[in-house]
Amino acid sequence: MYDLIAEMWSFAFMRRAFVATTVLSASVAPVGAFLVLRRLSLAGEAMAHAITPGIVIGFVTAGLSVMSLLVGGLIAGVGVAILTAFLARRTILRSDASLASLYLIALAVGIFILSAAGSAVPLKSFLFGSILGIDDASMVLVGGVATVTLLAFAVLLRPLIVSTCDPVFFETQTRGPWLVDQGFMLLLVLNLLAAFKTLGTLMAVGLMILPATAARYWASTITGQLILGFLFALSSCWIGLTLSYLFPDTPSGPAIVLVAGGFFLFSAIFGPLGFGRRMRKPSVSKDIPIAQIQQEERAQ
Amino acid sequence: MSDRIQRSGAGRGGSGVVGAFVARDLRGDLMSAVLQIRDLTLGYRDLTLFHRLSMDIAAGTTLAVLGANGSGKSTFVKMLLGLMDPLSGSLIWPQGRPRDIGYLAQMTEFDRRFPIRVRDLAAMGAWRGFGYRTGLDAAARDRMAAALDEAGVLDIADRPLHMLSGGQLQRALFARVIMQDAPLILLDEPFAAVDQSTEAHLLSIIRRWRDEGRAVVLVVHDLSSVLDYCSHALLLGGQEATHGPVNDVLTPDRLVAQGYLSESQASWMFRGTHSTAEHANV
Ligand SMILES: Nc1ncnc2c1ncn2[C@@H]1O[C@H](COP(=O)(O)OP(=O)(O)OP(=O)(O)O)[C@@H](O)[C@H]1O
Ligand SMILES: [Mg+2]
Repeated sequence: MYDLIAEMWSFAFMRRAFVATTVLSASVAPVGAFLVLRRLSLAGEAMAHAITPGIVIGFVTAGLSVMSLLVGGLIAGVGVAILTAFLARRTILRSDASLASLYLIALAVGIFILSAAGSAVPLKSFLFGSILGIDDASMVLVGGVATVTLLAFAVLLRPLIVSTCDPVFFETQTRGPWLVDQGFMLLLVLNLLAAFKTLGTLMAVGLMILPATAARYWASTITGQLILGFLFALSSCWIGLTLSYLFPDTPSGPAIVLVAGGFFLFSAIFGPLGFGRRMRKPSVSKDIPIAQIQQEERAQ
Repeated sequence: MSDRIQRSGAGRGGSGVVGAFVARDLRGDLMSAVLQIRDLTLGYRDLTLFHRLSMDIAAGTTLAVLGANGSGKSTFVKMLLGLMDPLSGSLIWPQGRPRDIGYLAQMTEFDRRFPIRVRDLAAMGAWRGFGYRTGLDAAARDRMAAALDEAGVLDIADRPLHMLSGGQLQRALFARVIMQDAPLILLDEPFAAVDQSTEAHLLSIIRRWRDEGRAVVLVVHDLSSVLDYCSHALLLGGQEATHGPVNDVLTPDRLVAQGYLSESQASWMFRGTHSTAEHANV
């Protein structure tokens, strides 16, 4: 076992994979946390599908390079996000329904082109990622996206918290509430693209959502949610990568997401905001404290 | 504390304890209009709620907005906030549009499971004043403790929102409005889910705001709180909007004509009187 792990470390591609997923965890964790808090958990999945045609077209026209991935994916993702917001604002459809309609169209376009392009596309690594696929350019992509994401969160964190918690209040507070929504969507697309090489399109969302939902069972503050989400994501990546090395035929994406799923189940059962609270004795009384009653009397 | 209020007019100075200095500062402007509404027609694409309303909202007054369900009270408040445009007419802000307008929505699309505590919710009222890294400074923290205390939620300040009752949440939202420290405050049916003593408590906060020279717009259904706490009334209904001092607007005839009361309710409510003047102690 230890020999195997030492052996694993001796491979440059494995060390690369560990570095890439560590940086990736720091980047996708806050995005995932706000996807969950904004009730957009499923929108993450939809967006992952929506960027497929962009990636496929990029691949078909310019080969499997990071640049083609980034440009194609960004155009498709941002296009779908803007159209979704437009439909939700101007027509009766809610944003979930408009997003669903658009991503299904996009996905069909993507698969259509993929089939038309023939067998040239390495389908399995496309869908599930491959650790071997992490070249220098992908490392740069992951690092760049992580930098942009963390800087953006430094600026966007407060507006995001307010707009997530009470959207109507947020709308009264600012001229361009859509800026925050769209900015967040852009971060989502960027992070999906960064996760693409390691995890593949289908599994990328797993690393965003599962650590965040797992953390939700423990944390009752935003800070706790963000930190714990990151720790879960990081551990999932490390354990998942090790597993996919130990069992050479397993792709890295599902291995990582399965570990994250394990954290989720554990948290749901034992977390204080999951079923865990049932196992404890009822503690703090929910009665109105005496001081508050006195205060009411003072107010009369 | 409230540099916003200071900036909105000329030649003001001073600082001090919560509330006290605002009162001194705005006294001079008392009764000056915060907002002038001119020829306002309000409605949606194929529904006009009322035509050509002109009125002033003055500092240090409390305006009650009354009307039957669907008469346009919430729409009026949303228009004042800038969340929607009027069909025609204009809003004039003589002292400039306030940077912040206090607002309590009728039914908040509020996410009760959002992982923040009561004190964070209150702090949200002043969120634009925070630095990116730093949270509240010492002065703001004092102000927040005072706001939580006044709203009666200091004891539960560290509770997450999903553990609050409806009335406790309403108090916490009041603390947020206090933190907003705005010259104009809009409250859309703030007493819909609260008990009598909480209502009395919240009304005392509204009275303080009025005394400090803020303008308060209050959407209510309960006529008795209108008579006690509001100087002016705006009655909506029947495609009309009637504005004026409470006693002039809330006559049995008007209330019936604009569909707020039925004939029999009006004669029961105003039994033995010919005007509301005897009840009113504004
Ligand atoms: N988005 C909308 N589009 C079209 N009509 C609307 C819209 N929102 C509300 N209305 C209509 O405008 C009218 C006024 O609505 P509003 O919410 O202002 O009533 P309200 O006086 O606040 O009623 P309540 O006492 O029930 O809160 C209603 O008849 C309603 O049907
Ligand atoms: Mg209403």
